[in-house]
Amino acid sequence: MLALKNWDINLRSREKKTLRSFLLLYAFLTLLILAFVAFLYYGLERDLMLQNQRETLSNLTNEQITRLKALHINFEKEQTYPRDERFNSAIYDSSLKQIFSTLNTKKVNLYEDIYLKNNHIYFIKELESYYLGARYIVLEVPEPRVWDKKVFRKLLGYGALIFMVLVIIGYFLLNLLLRPMRDTIVLLDRFIKDTTHELNTPVNAILSNIEMIDTQTLDENLLKKIRRITIASKTISNLYDDLTYLILSHQILSQDVQVDLKTLIEERIEYFSLLFESKKIELSVNLEEGIFLTIDHKKMAKLIDNILSNAIKYNKIGGTIHISLTKHSIEIKDSGRGIEKSKINQVFERYSRFDRSVGGFGIGLNIVASIAKEYDLQVKIDSILGEGTTVRISW
Amino acid sequence: MVRITFFFIFLAISVFARTGVYQKNCIPCHEDMAVKIDKFFYRYLLKYSSEMEVKNAMSKYLKNPKAENSILVDGLINRFGVKKKTTLSDEQLQEALDTYWEQYKVFDKLK
Repeated sequence: MLALKNWDINLRSREKKTLRSFLLLYAFLTLLILAFVAFLYYGLERDLMLQNQRETLSNLTNEQITRLKALHINFEKEQTYPRDERFNSAIYDSSLKQIFSTLNTKKVNLYEDIYLKNNHIYFIKELESYYLGARYIVLEVPEPRVWDKKVFRKLLGYGALIFMVLVIIGYFLLNLLLRPMRDTIVLLDRFIKDTTHELNTPVNAILSNIEMIDTQTLDENLLKKIRRITIASKTISNLYDDLTYLILSHQILSQDVQVDLKTLIEERIEYFSLLFESKKIELSVNLEEGIFLTIDHKKMAKLIDNILSNAIKYNKIGGTIHISLTKHSIEIKDSGRGIEKSKINQVFERYSRFDRSVGGFGIGLNIVASIAKEYDLQVKIDSILGEGTTVRISW
Repeated sequence: MVRITFFFIFLAISVFARTGVYQKNCIPCHEDMAVKIDKFFYRYLLKYSSEMEVKNAMSKYLKNPKAENSILVDGLINRFGVKKKTTLSDEQLQEALDTYWEQYKVFDKLK
């Protein structure tokens, strides 16, 4: 259940990316649908408003037509176009040519009946008798005040409400989508936890029994075999430690003390000495004295162990490892097979392994990253394929 | 002497003014009619609206005048009768109609 509590931490970056894409797409689609509905609703409201205006406008148009008729009859004497302060108007002949206009706009869509443009309502009517040659008359009145503000307020309110409901539905949908992924992680964590429990007792029994053997009395051949057993057991023991850390890391309380890094690194080199020997790795060390770090001793040891064990594991027989300790960093450089550039960013992900020829669960660097994160240490990996890898921990 | 001068000036104006097809072929008859020529124009405008349609309708009537396609109301037709068919060529007729349109059109006259 630990994994469930921390599933968001455990999700790999690729899965997170998928989730982000899903959420973005979902939000985008939701907004698109909402915008479409809002557009339709706005159109309906606008049509309703125009319908309400239609009767008034029709009456005004008739008044204007009466004036045009009078003008037509007396055109020789009077040539002033009738104006009204309640509206602007224009007349067009049957070839849609403008005869006269007091409108604010030059472009009028004479094929429409009534429409809204630039905060004005345009009402178009066809004359029965073409006074002054006018077949179409257009009336322009300002749109009624605040009608659209009311609509926008309504739209915004309902839109936000519906969006929120859809977001909640999206959240449940996302959970549904994530369930198989989380189940897999839970399954894997539980499997490791169970395996770990089963490993603990036999490994401890082997290691403590080896320690009890008096190596002085053994002949060369047997000593070699015992050493091999020791290496193998330590490897298992390391793995056990890693797995325990992984499973219980959230429950382990850090006990930060001043750690002398030189002593610690030497200790860890000593611990891995048999492994170095077995792979005939040439070790060069350059450690500055008196460098201290306030950190949990076990965690720092785990961090170094993981980097060191990787440097050994992926090294070639007779390769080299160089360890240096300076005031602000530890650098471990190996002559191993290296990591592809495109995959360097993924090495810290749990269960990611790029080389299946050697053992492991792909959790080592994940542990390194989590410890580094806890103590605000920077981990930088430089690698050239076929030449080696340099891991640098700086603070 | 003054009278003679005025007479000649008047004659000159009349002759010069009536150089166009419209002035020569339309005005003389219409001048004597009870219904003035501009009334015909506004009747056409009332029925046909655009320049093209007005001119087409006039041209059609002038080429083939009939009581049915006259713009005048029945009473007037009965009183004055239908005019004779035009003797003008298409080009001349068109020119006359153009002049007529220019003289009485509403465009640019409204204030």
